[in-house]
Amino acid sequence: MSLLTPDVENLIGASSEIEVACDAVEPGAVRRYAQAYMDGDSILYSEEATRGSRYGGPVAPPLFPMNMFRRPFGTPDPFAERARDPDFDGIVGSTAQGLPPLPLPLGTGLLNAGTDVELFRYARHGETVTAKSRYHSITEKQSSKGPMLLVVIQTEYRTGAGELLLRVKKTQIRR
Amino acid sequence: MPRRCFEQVKVGDSLDPLVKGPLTSAHLMRWSAAMENWHKIHYDREFAVGHDKLPGLLVNGTFKQQFIMQLLKDWAGGEGWVWKVGFQFRAMNLVGETLSVWARVMGKRETASYGLIDLELGITNDQAKESTPGTAVVALPYEAGPPVPYPFVPHEPR
Repeated sequence: MSLLTPDVENLIGASSEIEVACDAVEPGAVRRYAQAYMDGDSILYSEEATRGSRYGGPVAPPLFPMNMFRRPFGTPDPFAERARDPDFDGIVGSTAQGLPPLPLPLGTGLLNAGTDVELFRYARHGETVTAKSRYHSITEKQSSKGPMLLVVIQTEYRTGAGELLLRVKKTQIRR
Repeated sequence: MPRRCFEQVKVGDSLDPLVKGPLTSAHLMRWSAAMENWHKIHYDREFAVGHDKLPGLLVNGTFKQQFIMQLLKDWAGGEGWVWKVGFQFRAMNLVGETLSVWARVMGKRETASYGLIDLELGITNDQAKESTPGTAVVALPYEAGPPVPYPFVPHEPR
């Protein structure tokens, strides 16, 4: 049995819409994020340290744009409908980055195999950030447990003005 | 921050490791809240152990990738740039562990505008077990050259 069916193959190259993060880069969110991973770098908060620097003002941590895509106001609370479900693991949102889901057999598992990031610049405080993803490649391999797919999703994060911040390739194993 | 130049770096050099921990459940909760990541395996011990049969609360993969970026960002300095970084989550890290992020210079390449440093890297725990092997490419200015362009402009090695 192959997982790489024609319906799956047809999705190679498929793109998501451009998604706009619901909040611009907020100083408070940057503070909580940087304090949480314990980085006190002054470029993350100081006008004085960044005035006249290449950054042009305080910036977000390098990978911050990857984590800006949160649940906006006006959307259903995912906890509400599963509050009595003992199997609810707390995961909310999609693992497909806005892409159409792959038509795979029910129960096909997902593992994150790796992440490759190219960095171009940091997002400044106050900037909006967008993301657009596509299925970069989908290939099949045989494992001891049967066939598996290596799915590479590429996401480009840009400022609202279109400047490239990050290009991220995430490899997922589906089997 | 001192200027780090391409010529100062030698193949085989090790970066000073970045040590984080011991990581408590409070650290994991704080990171989950900052991320708005509500996956219970990071903060709900009863669910992680009882339901998901894990040995304890797991350190988030996203948490570990920040540590790697912090080490590289600080090493590159204000005139260098971390161009590429890649890593794989090969093993779990559990609450209570102290993590050490390491990196070693594996190669040097030159472009017309700046030098490129190839690194291998990873994260080990108290038992020296590797969990997150990876690689990176950092651009550094030449001693007599200008800072690496920002926003970064990739150049091919010559």
